[in-house]
Amino acid sequence: MDLDFSPLLDSWRFLASGLGLTLALSAAAVLCSFAAGLLVALGRLYGPRWLSVILVFYIDSMRAIPVFVVLVWIYFAVPILTGHTFAPFWAALTGITIHVAAYVAEVVRAGLTSIRRGQAQAGYALGMSTAQVLRVILLPQAIVRMMPAFGSIVSVTIKDTAIAAVIAVPELMRQAETLAGQTYRPIEIFTAVMLIYFVIIFPITRLIDRFYGRVAHLGRS
Amino acid sequence: MNLDWSIVWSSRWLLLEGAALTVLLTALTMLISVPGGILLALMRGSRFKPVSLFATGFVELFRNLPLLLLVYWAFYVMPVLTGLALSPFVTGLTALCLNVSAYNSETFRSGIASIRKGQGEAGLALGMSRAQVFGEIILPQAWRRVLPVLASTWVSLFKDTSLVSVIAVGELAHTAMQIRSQSFRVLEMLTAMAAIYWLMGYPQAKLVDWIHRKYGVRE
Amino acid sequence: MTAQPRKNADRAPMLVYKDVRKRYGSFTALDGVSLHVNPGEVVCLIGPSGSGKSTLLRCTNGLETLDGGEVLFEGKPLPKSDVEMRGVRQRMGMVFQNFELFPHKTALENVATGLITVKKMPADEANRRAMALMAKVGLSDKTANYPSNLSGGQQQRVAIARALAMEPHVMLFDEPTSALDPETVGEVLNVMRQLALEGMTMIVVTHEMSFARRVASWVVVFEKGKLLEEGPPTQIFDAPLKERTRDFLSHLGWDG
Repeated sequence: MDLDFSPLLDSWRFLASGLGLTLALSAAAVLCSFAAGLLVALGRLYGPRWLSVILVFYIDSMRAIPVFVVLVWIYFAVPILTGHTFAPFWAALTGITIHVAAYVAEVVRAGLTSIRRGQAQAGYALGMSTAQVLRVILLPQAIVRMMPAFGSIVSVTIKDTAIAAVIAVPELMRQAETLAGQTYRPIEIFTAVMLIYFVIIFPITRLIDRFYGRVAHLGRS
Repeated sequence: MNLDWSIVWSSRWLLLEGAALTVLLTALTMLISVPGGILLALMRGSRFKPVSLFATGFVELFRNLPLLLLVYWAFYVMPVLTGLALSPFVTGLTALCLNVSAYNSETFRSGIASIRKGQGEAGLALGMSRAQVFGEIILPQAWRRVLPVLASTWVSLFKDTSLVSVIAVGELAHTAMQIRSQSFRVLEMLTAMAAIYWLMGYPQAKLVDWIHRKYGVRE
Repeated sequence: MTAQPRKNADRAPMLVYKDVRKRYGSFTALDGVSLHVNPGEVVCLIGPSGSGKSTLLRCTNGLETLDGGEVLFEGKPLPKSDVEMRGVRQRMGMVFQNFELFPHKTALENVATGLITVKKMPADEANRRAMALMAKVGLSDKTANYPSNLSGGQQQRVAIARALAMEPHVMLFDEPTSALDPETVGEVLNVMRQLALEGMTMIVVTHEMSFARRVASWVVVFEKGKLLEEGPPTQIFDAPLKERTRDFLSHLGWDG
């Protein structure tokens, strides 16, 4: 097997722009899905019954449908329904957010319900409102327990952004595909890009494991 | 907007075939990756350094990559490495197995770690070999902890099989995308694809919840 | 030393420990311990927590490896190879502080498991033997129970039956009553006393001083990984030679 890494040296800017977009899309998707997921979880736990029925249905549906399917549906089908075309980046951000937010919601719900009931009751007994009980008592305790799950959601989100390549978002995966096609050096390029993804995602997984070891005792009560 | 849903009905056999391949791909991957995961977990615990290092490297690499990239990589690299012309199905299966074995290895590792050390010692004290201790004592107990996680992995895998469509494995996603581009019935076919995944995935997700309730560790 | 002859001193010792050493990082668990155990003896190891008694027991059947010295079992040093060590372990029964019954097996299956897995005995014969042992420890009516449905004392009696099933030449007890509720300690000690009467060679790490006083034929006192004093129970409990032994016993409220 003869390898030739020169296309990488020639076109590193091309890949770097892809990496930039991957990071931007990841960051935006993480922020949006954490915000949306928190709202969904709160709506499910504290909202009216009809709302929580809808939200449970939404969450379970996202657990059933692949991100890939959500992305192509939003990118190709939504414009037909609405008459508006989506820029690929925004379609990807929307699709990933819709998908990941459901997982965030599950984590938040599990975290909040894992706190002993007496904790909330103690808050109410002091005259706090539900919002205050949540903000002052439940969330601070739950957040520690949620950290490992949040960490793995972050790494899943970064991995999911690669799927945006199928709707032509010029992120790292897509740039690699393009470059591989132009240079006929797919092995070198995909291996190099593999390394780049690994270098981004591995530290996050490591951090989760480390953190999980440290806070595991907080989960036991 | 003019919609023609009859395309879904008229391609029902193709779609069904695609769905069957999706299920087959999921089942085969799991069938290979459960023993694969156990093996990797055992290798990681090996006292022989090169073995544990190799297993650690394997697991960390393949669980920290986007699956789509792994699929492409397998598509281009596997023929060169093996010298064989592999079908897209085998290539896709390999990529999925690399990924899921790495996940399963972590699942088994933490399941095994959750068993008290004394349990293994009690087996050793009876004169059992390490293999007997693992098969008779550790694995049956770890199983309860591992099963719910494996169930969740199964559903993720079921969804992830859609990604091998990019190398033309004729599973559900690929079939639906093909019909879409031939018939130009984009909205109808994409919606049908989503609906079929939903119909298949929703009961699985519910089953996972049930397994978690039944076997889940209560705090 | 008292003139009293030690039990079976005329026979070859079952176990001999020669200058046994064990370290965990910077902590010295055993600092050159030498002693021996004759066939049919009940040897109780006593001493403060962390003084090395349990470590010595775990070195006996190779759950811990030695950093120095030697252990001879029936005249032969403990083998290095895993396969041979398994043969030795079959001749040593061990009872753990936390019972370590296998939670996925019934009481009877726990007792029969060594016979079936290790000795390759046919299941019906193994079950017959297990039944007899369950009767011996007074639990004939609990054979189908899972460990989670047994009291601590019952679990420990099943664990003793499990070890006895292998027909060991020596029984090692690692604080067998420390994890028990006070009201179930007695039933376990009774089973152990019965075993001693039958002539079983036993090494018992224990904090039950009255058991050591009445059942032991030889008592060994440990302190900081070293052997502080050894002798028959009358010597240790009534007239210890070392001041530190007296201190240790009086800390436990033992007034002779």
